[in-house]
Amino acid sequence: MPIQILQGTLDLIILRTLATMGPQHAYGIANRLQQVSEDALNLNQGTIYPALVRIEQRGWTRGSWGKTENGREAKYYTLTRAGLKALNEETERWRQMAGVVEKLLAEEQ
Amino acid sequence: MERWRRIIARLRSLLANKRAEEDLAREVASHLTLLTDDFERRGMSPEEARLAARRAYGGAEQAKQAHRDERTVLWIEQTMQDLRYGLRTLSKSPGFTTTAVLTLALGIGACTAVFSLVNAVLIRSLPYGDPNRLVYLYTPNPQFKLPVEIFGPAYADFYDLKRDSHSFQDMTAFGESVFSLALEGAAERVSAARVDGDFFRTFQSAPELGRAITPDDNQPGHEKVAVISHVFWQSMFAPAADILHRSLLLDGKSYQIVGVMPQGFEYPHFSDIPYGEAQYKTTQVWIPLALTAHELADRDNTSGNAVARLRPGVSIAQAQAEMATIMARLDRLHNPQVRGWGASVKNFVDSTVGHVRSLLWLLLGSVAIVLLIACGNAANLLLARAASRMRELGVRVALGAGRSRIIRQLLTEALLIGLAAGGLGVGFAYAFLRVLPHLDPGNIPRLREASLDTRVLLFTVAVSLLTSVLTGIVPALALSRVNLTDFLAATGSRSVAGAHTRLQSALIVVESALVVVLLAGAGLFIRSYINVESVDTGFSPSTVTMYVSLDGRYSEPQQRIVFFRNLFAKIEVLPGVQAVGAVNNLPLSNTEGLSMFQVDGYPNEKSQLAESRWITPQYFAAMGIPLVAGRFFTQDDNSNNEYNVIVNQSFAKKYFANRNPIGGRVNWEDNHTLWSTVVGIIGDVRHSSVEEAPLPQIYHPNTGFQGGYIAVRSVLPPKALAVEIRSTLHSIDPNLAAGDIQTMGDLESEASAPRRFQTSLLTVFAAIALFLALVGLYGLMAYSVSRRTREVGIRMALGAQRTDVMLLVLKKASLLLALGLISGLVASWFATRVIQAFLFGIGRHDPITILSVCALLAVSGLIATIIPARRAASIDPMQALRAE
Repeated sequence: MPIQILQGTLDLIILRTLATMGPQHAYGIANRLQQVSEDALNLNQGTIYPALVRIEQRGWTRGSWGKTENGREAKYYTLTRAGLKALNEETERWRQMAGVVEKLLAEEQ
Repeated sequence: MERWRRIIARLRSLLANKRAEEDLAREVASHLTLLTDDFERRGMSPEEARLAARRAYGGAEQAKQAHRDERTVLWIEQTMQDLRYGLRTLSKSPGFTTTAVLTLALGIGACTAVFSLVNAVLIRSLPYGDPNRLVYLYTPNPQFKLPVEIFGPAYADFYDLKRDSHSFQDMTAFGESVFSLALEGAAERVSAARVDGDFFRTFQSAPELGRAITPDDNQPGHEKVAVISHVFWQSMFAPAADILHRSLLLDGKSYQIVGVMPQGFEYPHFSDIPYGEAQYKTTQVWIPLALTAHELADRDNTSGNAVARLRPGVSIAQAQAEMATIMARLDRLHNPQVRGWGASVKNFVDSTVGHVRSLLWLLLGSVAIVLLIACGNAANLLLARAASRMRELGVRVALGAGRSRIIRQLLTEALLIGLAAGGLGVGFAYAFLRVLPHLDPGNIPRLREASLDTRVLLFTVAVSLLTSVLTGIVPALALSRVNLTDFLAATGSRSVAGAHTRLQSALIVVESALVVVLLAGAGLFIRSYINVESVDTGFSPSTVTMYVSLDGRYSEPQQRIVFFRNLFAKIEVLPGVQAVGAVNNLPLSNTEGLSMFQVDGYPNEKSQLAESRWITPQYFAAMGIPLVAGRFFTQDDNSNNEYNVIVNQSFAKKYFANRNPIGGRVNWEDNHTLWSTVVGIIGDVRHSSVEEAPLPQIYHPNTGFQGGYIAVRSVLPPKALAVEIRSTLHSIDPNLAAGDIQTMGDLESEASAPRRFQTSLLTVFAAIALFLALVGLYGLMAYSVSRRTREVGIRMALGAQRTDVMLLVLKKASLLLALGLISGLVASWFATRVIQAFLFGIGRHDPITILSVCALLAVSGLIATIIPARRAASIDPMQALRAE
């Protein structure tokens, strides 16, 4: 069953993807999302655009135009230093949050 | 930090919107290309790959919009879009836009104009330090049954109060006078105040040049100094720089100019002191009061005015209590015959503007009604237009615009209209303020200071915004109840527009009701004005009058009597002159003398008062005042030792009921030994006000007044007569001059100026309201005829006659008008309560007014309907049926 992406987690996922894969374009990011989630994340590729612009405007990524291996032009997003810092912070916060939720769920059973 | 960076980036994106949009389009295209490439690599045909890519990507436009929403500050972006779109649609229908803007501009302009007046008179602070601590002091005496404001404190009482009271920081006594000012051979009348040394300090007002009048100036021998107003300096001395080295010749005496007050200080104004002696609207010259030792000890004359400034923290009630205690003690020092002098402390600001407060609020209320009607009209226009824009709006909804977005769009358009109307309205208000000084009725303080200051402009902006919301919300809400996309499927807009017309009709009914209220008010004002105009004043309006003041060379009363006798002998022989006389106080000239008197053989009350005047023998003939019985005065009446008086009819009726007044005896001022004989009865004259019933009046033969009004009855035109009299006067004494030349009709007209002012303003507002409501009615009828063309066509095809069709339209209009009229009449029945005090000679439910209002609304309403009705009747059924 496809899962809905949690509000605010898309930013974190994109940052993680860029940190792992290096500079990437929107299509690459969307593809990676689908691969990792083994298609459980059912989202239109267009839906990541707001997250992309949000992250860029925060200064966490920098966008620049480049060519793909196949010679197609694409806008590549590069993680900035601020982005890397934000990724660490956001990851930490997510872990804490996930831990709390997990603990609660475990106790309830 | 990041938050700020993001906010700045979003704002920047607003400015660099075009580049960001291009970038986004490029990115989306690139994304789709990459997706397509991928699908092709997996073995799809190019066409299949393209479709698959689209599916995988989702709605490209929606993604772009989501990107935009995230990228920019949404509401600014959307507002700018709305504004651009609004401007475009409004400029595409200039007829609609012009009508809506003009309609609202009339309403907003009227509101701004009246508010600027309210602002100047009621809101803007008086320029006297902290005006709320200023008070007037009175020493009323209840036995006279006269208004409190008549009794300023006697000088001796005033200075005792000043010495003994602790409530006041400063106190000043002053009187009003009119002087003849000699200027290069001509003489002018100038209004002056005689003030004590604390006057300017009490008002916390300092001169812009030189110095104020000090206590030293009030010492005998030092009093020949004057402070002049800014306006006086500018107009009389064509701003001479050496003004402080000049002097004024007032009533033949020279006064050294020591100071010039700044612009705006012209206290006391005519309207400031209810029973003052001012004859001009403002004060131009201040000279020392310089009381003599005799005047300082006087407890009988209460001719002065007293203003004080409360100490900080002292309330009016506390000051009143203290003053009452002191007055109770001082009362015992008064003449035992007339005691009972009390104390009254009145708020200065209330005294200054209190009497016009209700009028100004009334005017503001009327323009608010005008504005409401304008809003109703504009809303109706927007509604009609919304109905014809259904298709366009439906398309926008189908393309993804949310309902709130559509409402916002409509409100934005209303806002554009409202702001344009506000701008134009300020223009109207400016024009009104240019005309206003010419309408000055003289009773509204600081009327001429009305201007479009920041407060007024903020008010206009607020009113424009409110107007926009009121106007825009009606169609916006009406549309929000309609399923716009349904409309796309249908070919007609019948059901949708049907709901609209009901709303539009309701608006017209409300508008007509409001108009009826305004018309009823204006009608009552007009009827009152007509009543005032038709009052018999008792004198002839064509009599020409002028003021002649004798200077110090005429020190003996007998000299003065002889002077007037000589003057009249020469004037009487001028061709065309029928009669000439003189009086110390003209009727309606805001000067009055009241005397106590007793009548022989009448159960006299204590302190009976009558208006008293001193006249020359031919005064009544010159004024056209009719003799009812007995005789006029003759030259002999004041030369031998008989004392004769003439009384008016009211006097005769009250004090000589059932007996012959001629030969009856009267004494006055408590002189029980000196009896005067009544030799004549003349008609009643309205002396103090056209609107007040005449009081008992007593006339005495001239005993030698220093200055008096000459009244001339002639067949010459007033101007020519004035020239003749001036040269006659010059031939007797070249140093004297006649001022204030005017006919009694002029005085009468001046006296009714306040009523004319309020009546014309209210009438104009009611007329604007009626016009707007008729435009609204016409618009609705024309709209509904054009919308029902097809229906009319069918009716006519089925045999309806043209008259039937006309009647159809007229019937609907009549129904709306009748509903409006009835609810308006019900509302007026209660609303006219607020104008009760403004009416003269009629009740507030005056049937003639009500009938006139009904007739006016019915006739004008049907005229407004006749054009659309005829258009409906001229519809060609064949064309109408083919049209859709």
